[in-house]
Amino acid sequence: MSTLAQQLVLGVLIGGLYGLAAAGLSLVFGVLRVLNVAHGELIMLGGYGAFWLFALLGLDPFLSLLLVVPAALLAGALLYWGLFASVVRFPDETRIKNSLLVSFGLALALHVVAVQLWTADERSITTAYGGVFRVAGLALPRVRLMSLAVALGLIGVVHVLLSRWRWGQAIRAAAEDWQAALLVGIDVRRAYLLAFAIGTALAGAAGTLVSVAYSISPSIGLEWTLKALIVVVLAGLGSMMGTFLAGILLGVAEAASAIVFGGPYREVVGLVVILAILVARPQGLFGRS
Amino acid sequence: MSRLPPRLGTGAAALAVLGALALVPTLARRDDVVNFGFVVLLSIALAQSWNIIGGYAGQVNLGHAAFFGTGALVTRALWTAGTNVLAAMLAGAGVAVIFGLLLGIPAFRLRGAYFAIGTLVLAEILRITIGNVFPEISTLPTATIARYRLADRYYLALALAAAATLAVALLARSRAGLGMRAVREDEEAAEASGVGALRLKLTALALSTALAGLAGGLFAYYHISYYPQHPFAPSWTFDALLITYIGGVGTLRGPVLGAIFYTFLKEYLAIRWVDFHLLIFGVLFIAIVLAFPGGLVELTDRLWKLRRQRLENGGAG
Amino acid sequence: MLEVRDLAAAHGDLAALSGASLGVRAGEIVALVGPNGAGKSTLLQCITGLVRPRAGEIVSEGRDLLALRPHQIVDHGVALVPEGRRLFGQMSVEENLALGAFGPRARREREASLERVYRLFPVLAERRRQMSRTLSGGQQQMVAIGRALMTAPRLLMLDEPSLGLAPRVVGSIFEALEVINRAGVSVLLVEQNVRAALELAGRAYVLEGGRVVGEGTGSDLLADPHVRRAYLGPLAIR
Repeated sequence: MSTLAQQLVLGVLIGGLYGLAAAGLSLVFGVLRVLNVAHGELIMLGGYGAFWLFALLGLDPFLSLLLVVPAALLAGALLYWGLFASVVRFPDETRIKNSLLVSFGLALALHVVAVQLWTADERSITTAYGGVFRVAGLALPRVRLMSLAVALGLIGVVHVLLSRWRWGQAIRAAAEDWQAALLVGIDVRRAYLLAFAIGTALAGAAGTLVSVAYSISPSIGLEWTLKALIVVVLAGLGSMMGTFLAGILLGVAEAASAIVFGGPYREVVGLVVILAILVARPQGLFGRS
Repeated sequence: MSRLPPRLGTGAAALAVLGALALVPTLARRDDVVNFGFVVLLSIALAQSWNIIGGYAGQVNLGHAAFFGTGALVTRALWTAGTNVLAAMLAGAGVAVIFGLLLGIPAFRLRGAYFAIGTLVLAEILRITIGNVFPEISTLPTATIARYRLADRYYLALALAAAATLAVALLARSRAGLGMRAVREDEEAAEASGVGALRLKLTALALSTALAGLAGGLFAYYHISYYPQHPFAPSWTFDALLITYIGGVGTLRGPVLGAIFYTFLKEYLAIRWVDFHLLIFGVLFIAIVLAFPGGLVELTDRLWKLRRQRLENGGAG
Repeated sequence: MLEVRDLAAAHGDLAALSGASLGVRAGEIVALVGPNGAGKSTLLQCITGLVRPRAGEIVSEGRDLLALRPHQIVDHGVALVPEGRRLFGQMSVEENLALGAFGPRARREREASLERVYRLFPVLAERRRQMSRTLSGGQQQMVAIGRALMTAPRLLMLDEPSLGLAPRVVGSIFEALEVINRAGVSVLLVEQNVRAALELAGRAYVLEGGRVVGEGTGSDLLADPHVRRAYLGPLAIR
């Protein structure tokens, strides 16, 4: 069914994943001032993790989150320790630029490894419980609905972590003023490590959801990095919920653009929006200047 | 034997190298050698063009492919319609420059990483649009294919690579070049001391896009068939970036060394693994950004100095 | 309590130090005065570990502070109230104070420290949930000092606490410092307001051009002709 409402609802469903993908990037950029353009590749790897757990062990993708998320946490910690810890030594202005360059090299390497290991074919997980919910004449694919719920749940968890957990507060403090954070006895290096690990975990989770609700291949990296970037610029930094909402906004905008301008221009609207915002209001819709 | 003054010496060496390279099509017996030479020379031209905006002016432009693609598009259209290829290439470069300036004025309001993202986004918008407007493959008519001479393409590539390198050399010595480097180091400080940052950045962009447009025109002249959106693909930007950084960003020899190294590695590794060269380059790139910003140029300089020291010590001892 | 010997540092925009030495004995209030660009802030930043000196020694209670990382220095008991206060503006007064008790040692005394801070600055207790960015300058300074007190310091250092504050507010801040000191916390005070600093301090140093050019008790320096001419006379900065 391709009524307007149907398309918009589908846009909301994928928008939730955009929001989850962006949340990780936003956390890392907001706290470490590191622009990790390999974020999309991390999403891709999370997707492959879930795919192989399903293909080889028959593990349900939503359950495999219990494995993928901790693994991604660990991977993020290792990545930070091995690579980005050196990048944060640069002063603020060069840090963003160098992190962009360094993560570009990382993205390249990860992409090539993925193609070597798993070929360029598209993969997708088809669970036994597919099908659609029918509500008010609209067809909501069950798996995508579950993915949206999980995405929202994860965002909520991170939001609580950042506000209640001692180290979550340390992360927020380090994001606002890392020198002041040092002065109250916060080990900022550890706060950075945690933030990066959580960001990577969110990416891994997003990848898992993408692999079951949509499809993955080694080349989705750049695509998802751009989506995440668009949402981060749309939302601004500092709010997990704001980022999630901005993701949904992007999903809906893409659906609307596909209806108005035709399918091939679906991607363009997001790109135009990010451009307009970068030029007009760099702090985003929900962010603080 | 008295030593020639350095600039004369370098100039003479450069002419000698050019002369040798010019002989390749006549001396080489196999087409693939000439093809390889072409690819290296095209890469040098494209990398030098990026070097101007990214290396000397310090603006990481991730949308470079947009100008490469524009040059290709315009050149291909004019040339296949009957225009002389050189005129077509110049027209392509002209359109690329106009386009670059139109984009540059708003884009340069962004700084640093935001400029990088903004240019990438612009290039992607263009690529998608071109892909939708011109979805069909562009193939040369049979008559043109019959007249195809590889040597022509090679000489043109040699000329363009030489011109690009010369342009960078002249820019580096000029006042504009000095100003650009001041902007690269610290834009605010440069502005405060009276350097017109925006005008310099636009100048760099104009030169950069002109050369990129010419390179794109060369691409259109060389390939028999390709999809019109292909030269707009971000991989062209990334290649130029990798080559320039690994060779030595902001240096004259950097893109040259980088292009040779890059193309050799790509050819060598392609025998066994697809795109494996990108893995190596990705890792090398990281190492260079973090630890060894001078790239191959710095490496060769250091080795050269070491060798000279050893020779001198050997002579004195 | 703290010994700084022949400290030399040069760091980007910061004023340089070329061989500065000073000491703070337990229970003292020591002032560090001098003109702009003398290196007073740089000295404090070296002690806290934010800036790495090129040469010299910093020792506190037998520990070499140069071998510690900044958060470990805080845990050791040396806290800085930085210039410009540097609060976490997006967070409330209470959240700022709570973050002060982040380290393991400070955490144990958190409740007691919080009570002490609220008793010292009652206005903060009234506004504990208010976003710190919206407080007045004087109140923000109280939060900054309170936050540093939450780290349970043995030595409290302050970088220009009176900057931008009305004289009456400055007076209450300095009174609070006296109370803090009487409770057993040593104080090292860098101040532009030379008169107030010298009246409060037991001992003081004068820093000019990166090195210590004068030392003595507060009252001695108040009477010193060079000090009077440079910092207290009609042509002086304040």
